[in-house]
Order: sequence, then structure tokens, then C-alpha cells
Amino acid sequence: MLRVSLYEAAGPSLLELAAPTDSNGSSLRSEARYTKKPDDTTLPGTPPKIDLDDVAAEPITTPVNPSTDPIATIPPENVPREPPSPEEVQATPPESVEATPSESVQATSSDSVLATPPPSTSTPPTPLPPTGTGTSSVAPPPNGAPPPPPPAPKRKPRRFRRFLTAMLLLSALGYGGSVYMALVNDNFHDFFTEYVPFGEDAVAYFEEREFRKRFPETTTPRRHEVRDDNKVKIPSNSGLSSRVTGESDPNKADLLSKGRHVSALEDNKIAEEQAKQNPEQAKPKDTREAGAERQKDPGPSEPEPKPAAEPPKPAAEPPKPAAEPPKPAPEPPKPVPAAQIDNLKVEGADEPVVQEVVKILNDIITVVNADNAGSKYASTIDKAKGELGKVLSDITTMKATINKEAEDKIRASHTEFDAAAKELMRRLEAEMKEQEARWKDEYEAERQKLSETYDNKLRSELDTTKKVYEQRLKNELLEQAIALQRQCTESVRDRVETERSGRLSKLDELSSSVAELERLTAEWNSVVDANLKTQHLVVAVEAVRNALEAADRPKPFVDELVALKETAGDDPVVNAAIASINPSAYQRGISTTSQLIDRFRLVAHEVRKAALLPENAGVASHAASLLLSKFMFRKDKGAIGLPVGNDVESVLARAELLLEEGNIDQAAREVNQLQGWAKVLCRDWLAEARRVLEVKQALDVITTEARLQSLLVD
Amino acid sequence: MAERTPTPPSPVTRANRPMSEALLNEKWDRCLSSMLIRSGLGLSFGVVFSFLLFKRRAWPVWLGTGFGAGRAWEECDNSFKHAAAPTKDGLRVLRP
Repeated sequence: MLRVSLYEAAGPSLLELAAPTDSNGSSLRSEARYTKKPDDTTLPGTPPKIDLDDVAAEPITTPVNPSTDPIATIPPENVPREPPSPEEVQATPPESVEATPSESVQATSSDSVLATPPPSTSTPPTPLPPTGTGTSSVAPPPNGAPPPPPPAPKRKPRRFRRFLTAMLLLSALGYGGSVYMALVNDNFHDFFTEYVPFGEDAVAYFEEREFRKRFPETTTPRRHEVRDDNKVKIPSNSGLSSRVTGESDPNKADLLSKGRHVSALEDNKIAEEQAKQNPEQAKPKDTREAGAERQKDPGPSEPEPKPAAEPPKPAAEPPKPAAEPPKPAPEPPKPVPAAQIDNLKVEGADEPVVQEVVKILNDIITVVNADNAGSKYASTIDKAKGELGKVLSDITTMKATINKEAEDKIRASHTEFDAAAKELMRRLEAEMKEQEARWKDEYEAERQKLSETYDNKLRSELDTTKKVYEQRLKNELLEQAIALQRQCTESVRDRVETERSGRLSKLDELSSSVAELERLTAEWNSVVDANLKTQHLVVAVEAVRNALEAADRPKPFVDELVALKETAGDDPVVNAAIASINPSAYQRGISTTSQLIDRFRLVAHEVRKAALLPENAGVASHAASLLLSKFMFRKDKGAIGLPVGNDVESVLARAELLLEEGNIDQAAREVNQLQGWAKVLCRDWLAEARRVLEVKQALDVITTEARLQSLLVD
Repeated sequence: MAERTPTPPSPVTRANRPMSEALLNEKWDRCLSSMLIRSGLGLSFGVVFSFLLFKRRAWPVWLGTGFGAGRAWEECDNSFKHAAAPTKDGLRVLRP
């Protein structure tokens, strides 16, 4: 922004000055564009649209009409008048001042090196002063007289020409050699192309030729063209300098005209530059006035030879031909010439424009004086002088105001720039701080996390290793303890074994023999006891049997039976036998065999009475049976053998016979076979007989058991 | 015998239950006695009726004796018939 505005402030002159060579202008513009961009980027706070507009519009706007810029410092009437090309602008001063041959040589040499011959051809007609170098012509105010040169050329030109040709030859040779060198040596090539004018072209030309010789079919010309296109002449002073204002303008003009050392005005100009503070406004004026003058001048100045044109500055009256016919010489009598304006005493003498104006005035005055018409134009001249003063004052005031404005602007832009820079710095710092803090936080968090994880891992590993170590220690301890115990037990066992093999073995024998003895005695004791028991049992059984057999009538034998049970103890057989006896038997006693037989006879008698009864017999049948049974024949007991048959009489006969033989059991079985009333009548006798039989059987069982016991004992 | 006195059950059972061989004899005794009594009663009632109602006629005496003897016969016959097998009157059988 700032630079653009500065350019545009300096715009008309600078841009126009740069304009003639398109390359220069474009370079300037492009550079301005490029240089702007960093500004854009560096100032984030400022709205970017201006830059975009500028970038887009600048190429079009700035060159065409730089006055569109808002800078009001340039007077509007200056703008259209600008066009004069720098050649004109720059050409005039040297022309007007003094153009030494060397100047022309260098001016032309800037265009092409090979153009050196022209000056040599052009020099002879011009009556050059003897000075070989450009500096020799510095401000020789009095030597405006051309006459002296003509005689000199006769000797000097020849020497000079010889010198010149020698120099030319030498320089051509040197140039050629250096070109060859550049072709050969790379280092030298760089140096040569960079620093020697046209060196690059020359070298490129030779390279091109060589290349074409090698590859004739390729289209080479393009390369050269491209090179030409790319070649941009950028004056060393172009671009941006630390100095803000357009004080580079005169420089630029000088540069374009090749050589700030050229003109005689150089000293003055340097002084002016040093003194100058606000050239911006002066420049347009300068150019304008110069242009105005030029329009006037060319007519008179060109026809006349150069030496004639140079003198005017030192106010040489005579040399000036009557270039101005309108100026009559009305007052010859007036010897008093109009006083020239002093160059240095004029107010604002350091101003080139002022100098110009003063020069013009002085020219006019000299002309007038030369015509001796000073008196005639005195008033106008005075007026002009007064006007000059006024113009000067105006210029100074304008300069001051513009200067002030520019300074204000600069200051404002400075402050803006500073603020922007500060803002930027602040933001950058803030951002950096923020980022730093964030990074720090992240770093801290990450480090903490890492440290925690590592700590955990380390702890767990330590724990595991510790556990493993402890476990191993425990295992070793256990193993040692086990080994010790085993050793101990083994040693003890060994001792015990040795002891036992000695005395303890005998003790064992003794104890075993004692145990055998005890066992034997116990066996014998039991044998003795069993014997005693069986004897008791047998005695008891015999007592019961005696009691039963000895009784002539039924007697209870409970006491004997109790004694038998006690002697038997817990003998199951004896107990069962006793249990099988009907309690009424031993409580009331049992009838003897004789009693049984006796009672059987009674019963048989009654049974015979009822022997003929049918089933369900009534009174009549009973009476019949009672009567008829008296007439029945008895089975004879005396006969041998038992009667056969199921009738009551034969059964009774068998039963009586069996009873008489003592076979109660069988007799009871026979009686049991009776049916009906007969059996009813025999019921009581049967029960009695069974009771007797039970007792007898139990006693038999007990006696056999006792015998068995006594047998088992042995 | 003095020792034997304290055993009461034997006389009691003998009193309660006659010996099995004496069953028929006993029945006969009861039959005869009852016949005697009932025929006597009938005779007497016939005599009374003959004297009181039938003017000393003989047939009421015979009728009365006949009634008495008939009744005694019937009773005796009944006792003999059901004595052999135990009576099943009033017995009940428990189902398993």
C-alpha cells in the first residue's frame, strides 16, 4: 500500500520517466506489484480488497493515467502535459548544458557497444574542445567561443585519432578476448555476462553460432528472442530505496542518459539534490517548464551548432544569434544593461526550476542587453523579475505545503504501518504464546501419562519379580527343610534299627509268648465255663423231666422251667423251646399219660353214643343214635393189628390202642381225624393231649441242645 | 390239696364250660326237664280248663299236655341241631 501510494505520489514523473523503455516500466510495475504482495500478506488486519484492486487495476490504470490516484499533490494541469519522453526530458539538459563527445559516446554506448564508431565519425565535424574526457568540459563558462577549436584539430585529431583507434583496437581485442575467455571459462563467463555491458549478448551470439554449427536443424532463433524478451534493464537505482520520495527522479533521468557525471550542471545538481526536500512537486514543474521551453527552444537551438547553444548559461551575450526577432532593440542609447539575476542569490536558488527560470530570464536579459534595448524592456523585465519573485514564493509555499502533506502522509502511513506491525507482532506473540502453552500442556499431559504408564509397568514388574523371588526363596527353604527332615528321620530310623536289632527283638519274643499264654488260658477258661453251663443245663432239664414224670397228677412246673431258663441264659434254642410251651401247661401242670388214657375211655364212650348221628341231627336222630349205639359191635382190641377204616369205632379203637402203647402223638392224630359231633366231643381231650405233647417236645429239644453244647465244648 | 386251692381258674372254667364229652348229656338233661315241665304245665292248664269250662271233660287235659310237650320237643330239637356247628347268628366278617 504505502509503496504504491508513494509511487503514485511520485507517479507522473517516475512512471513516465520509466515509461520509455517498456521493459523498464513493466519491470517497475511488476516490481511494485511484487513488492506489494509481502505487504498484503504481512498485514492481516488491513482489508485486502485494496490490494486486489490494485493488483488487478494497476497495470491498466497506472500507466495510462496516473493522475487517477487520489493524491492531490499533482496539479491537474500537469498530467496531460507529462507525456514528454525521458529522452526529451533528459536530452534537453545535456543539450542545453553541454554535451561533450565522451558523453555522446557513452550515451550511445549504452545502446550498443558496437555503436562506438559513430561518435568517432560524428566527432570530427563537431569542434570539440581538446578535453579527452567528459569531465574536462565542466562548466567552462567563458569558452563558449567556438573559434579556438578549428585550428587545433590539425595536429590533435591525428594523435587523438591514433590514440582512439589504438584504444578501439585494444578494447575490441580485449572484448573479443574476454568473449572467447567467457566461452572457455565458466567463472569468467559469469563475471563477463554480469558486469560487462553487452557481454551476455556477445557470448550468447557466439554460443548460438556454435550451437547452430553443431545442430543445424534445430530452430535456434527462438532462444535468442527469448533472451531478448527476458532481458530487462533495471536501472540500479530503480526499485525501492530507503528514501521515500521521488528524489530518485533526477537520478533516474541521469541514469537513463548514462552518466551523472556528464553534464556541467552535475555539481549544481548534486548540491541541489542534497538540499532538495520536496522534489515531487518541483519535478513536474520542472519538466513542464522544460517542455515549454523546449517547445520554444528547438527552433533556434537546433540549427545553431552545439558550442553555440552551450554558452548561454554563463550569460555570454554575443554568441547568441538573433534568435528572437520579435525582440526589437528600441533602446540602443541605453547603455545600462538590465541587471542579470544572480543565480545564486535568487530565493530558492537550490531549486532547479528556479534555476531554469532564472536562466531563461537571464537569456532574455542578455538578449535584450545585447540589443541594447534594455531600457525599452526594462519595465517588462522588472515586471518579469517581480513575477519571478512571486512565482518563486508560490513555488516555495506549494513546496512547503506539499512537503508538509507528504510528511503527514508519510507519518500517517508510518504510524499505520507501525500499528499494523505491532498488531501483527502482538498477534504472532499471542498465537505463539497460546501455541506454546498448548504445546506445553500437551507435553505435560503426555509426559505425565507416559510416566504413569511406565510407573505402573515398573511397579507391576517389580511386584512380579518380587513375588517370584519370594516364591523361589520359599521353595528353597521348603526344600531345605524337607531335606533336613528326611536326614533327621533317616538318622533316627537308623539308630532305632540298630537298637531294635539288639535288645528290642528279644522283648518282642517275650511279649508274643505271653500273649499266646494268655490266649491259651482264656480258651481254657471258656471251655471250662461252657462245660459248666451245659452241665447246669442238663441238670435243669433233668429236673423238669423228673418233675413231670414223678407227678401222679397235674402239677405246675414253673419253678423248674424258670431255673432251666436261667441256666440256659441267652441260648436261643432253649429260649425258643420254652416259648413254644403253652403258658397254661406250666401254670396248671399237665396230665399224666394214665390220666390221658383214662379220660380217653370216657370220651370214647360218649363219642360212641354220637357215632350214628347224621348231619344236622335233631332230637329224634340223637335219640335214635343213643339207642342204636348200644347195639353196635365193638372193635376188638385184643386182635392183632390196627383196624382199618374211617368210621368212628375203628378210629376210636386205633386211638385207644395207640394210647395204651404210649404213643400219645399218634393217638392224638387219629382222634383228630373224627368229624362232626364226635370231634366236638373229643375237643377237650385233644387240647390236653397237645399240651402234653408240646411240653414233651420242648423238653426233648432242650435236652438235645444241652447235649449238643456239651459235645461242642469238647 | 391246700396248695391247689389258690388256683381259682380251673374250677371256674369247669363251672363255666362243661367238658366237651359231657355236652350231649347235658342237652339231654335239659330236654327231658323242659319236656317234663311244659307237658306238666299243659296238663295242668288242661285240667283247669276242663274243670272250669268243659265240665270235666278229658280232651282239654290232653290238649294242654300236648301243647307243652310239643313246645319242649321243638326247643330240644333246635338245641341239638345247632350245637354241633357253632352258631353263625350275629357273626360279622371283616373285609380285608
